[in-house]
Amino acid sequence: MAQAKPSRDRKVAEISRRRWLLAGAAIPLSRLWAFDRLTVTWDGDDLHVAAPELHFLAGKPLDRLKDGAAVVFLTQLTLTTDNFATSLRRAPERFVFSYDLWEEKFSVTKLGAGQRTISHLSAAAAEAWCLDNVAISSTGLPPDRPFWLRFDLRAAEPRDEAAVIGESGLNLTRLIEMFSRRPRDEQPQWTAEAGPLRLGGLKRLLGRTARTS
Amino acid sequence: MRFVWLAAVLWSSLLLAGSPEQDLNVNTRYTVESVELAGDNAGISTGLRGELTRLVGEKLNPAALDDLAKRIRHELHVRAVTHRLLRGQTPEHVRVVFDVRGTPAKFEASVPKLVYLSDGGLSGVVEGTATVGSHAFTFGVVSDGDDLAERYSGILARYEDKRLAGDRVRFRLDFESYREQWNPATVNALNQPGAASDTSGLYRTRQNIEPLVTFVLTRGAPGTLNLTVGASLESFQPQFPAARTESANAMVTTLGYHRRLEGSNANQQEVDAGYSLRAATSSLGSDFAYARHQADFQYAYIWGRSQIVDAVTAGEITGRAPLFERFMLGNSTMLRGWNRFDLDPLGGDRVMHNSLEYRYRIFDVFYDSGAIWDQGQTAVLRHSLGVGVRQNGLYAALAFPIKEGHIEPVFMVGMNY
Repeated sequence: MAQAKPSRDRKVAEISRRRWLLAGAAIPLSRLWAFDRLTVTWDGDDLHVAAPELHFLAGKPLDRLKDGAAVVFLTQLTLTTDNFATSLRRAPERFVFSYDLWEEKFSVTKLGAGQRTISHLSAAAAEAWCLDNVAISSTGLPPDRPFWLRFDLRAAEPRDEAAVIGESGLNLTRLIEMFSRRPRDEQPQWTAEAGPLRLGGLKRLLGRTARTS
Repeated sequence: MRFVWLAAVLWSSLLLAGSPEQDLNVNTRYTVESVELAGDNAGISTGLRGELTRLVGEKLNPAALDDLAKRIRHELHVRAVTHRLLRGQTPEHVRVVFDVRGTPAKFEASVPKLVYLSDGGLSGVVEGTATVGSHAFTFGVVSDGDDLAERYSGILARYEDKRLAGDRVRFRLDFESYREQWNPATVNALNQPGAASDTSGLYRTRQNIEPLVTFVLTRGAPGTLNLTVGASLESFQPQFPAARTESANAMVTTLGYHRRLEGSNANQQEVDAGYSLRAATSSLGSDFAYARHQADFQYAYIWGRSQIVDAVTAGEITGRAPLFERFMLGNSTMLRGWNRFDLDPLGGDRVMHNSLEYRYRIFDVFYDSGAIWDQGQTAVLRHSLGVGVRQNGLYAALAFPIKEGHIEPVFMVGMNY
């Protein structure tokens, strides 16, 4: 089940009244779920995230999967060096999940360039594979410069799925535009942030190749 | 030549390519075992049902299911149609279930009756009906100087539940509130000695509340047989004295039958029969005690562009019934061409009527005959002839009463009557 916990405050003093008001208005309107731990690692080229507490195969998306439908999840990593005042880089991705009715296992396909599929996974393994295939380039980021990373994950609206799946060349702008829309009432979304971090202070992954394009 | 090959390769690749989800949903490797429809799906066309059936035995194609769900939704005018998969009875097979959810609210305006008679003026009913699922709410305005001895004008409201208990039990609640206008002939007739013993006096307003439950006893090949039971709680305010209110509360029972027979060479026969009883007693709080019986039978034979229709009506009232319950002839449907105030300005407690019509394409020739009288009187049979044109609910006719002396035809035009 998804962890519906309040997001961890970074520095309460930095949160303006306007932000509190916006958050107060937006959160009840959306199914915005925060999860606690976002672990960030670096392979020398790309930044990777892990969130063992994140279980997004739950609720309505899981119901639809169990009904034999394919469900699209959109992810986005946002890199910023000014605590999200502006974003330095964004890396959106699309994943299609389906559930084998006879084998009771999940199958996941990462869309886009270098499309790849994995099947016969448990729910936790499918979720982990999804996050494992999300990365953002660290190019141009000095090792000692502080940066922040936000991870967003959203189940696509069933009505948008055909467009999301169908557009083989779905561009970065379109995906970012999808994320900039406020999620609809029935559209679950998860988000987590980490920072300030420094490349020099991150655990360096060995033997992992860069995956961002 | 190179471009021809290139085009051929591109075209064939497009043909062979499935939908995007086709390759991404792991269940597309399974075969469809059955296709089921859940929810109210009675209105799906035979063609679409055939397409659903053709999915059986094929590999699962989610895009095809999406398309069919859209078409079902479009055909049934429902809020949503979704599909889900279940494991089949045999391995590697799946069952497809289409869920039909709720009819949307819709609003319709209709004119159930609109008729102008050269000797009776304009009569009409305009209704607006909002439908939510099986529930229908109707509001209408009425001004009718055709049916009864009075011209009644006012409003009507109706609630209907077409699926009170499954599709065989329906509920209906009518409310009517009218203000009356009287023809001088009726006023004069009521002033005659003894008239008050046959019926009520004049009234200025009339309200009716009528809850009815209809049971569908049979349908399909043997025909549709409905039984309706309920009550009519009618109250009206006499003209003198104005402060008083009288009631005519009656139990209502109606039996209706309809059957259509399709013959060879596109010949059709239609039979409609009905019997209704309205029984008012003092035990229901009624100021009037009476029993009103009415029986109707109509037979239609249709061949090619020709149609012959015969309709018989017979009625009897025992006891003292108010004016609005009494039978009338000489209107837009019965003994056309006669003026009802010439026949009997108070209506009668006995009626017998037959109408024979021959229709060819839009043309219509009719012969009406009937009698209206009171108990103890001698029935006088009267006849009328007429011609008309009928197209898409619109009707115009000229009716001639068959009688000695001066004959003045009645022109009538209208729709849905």
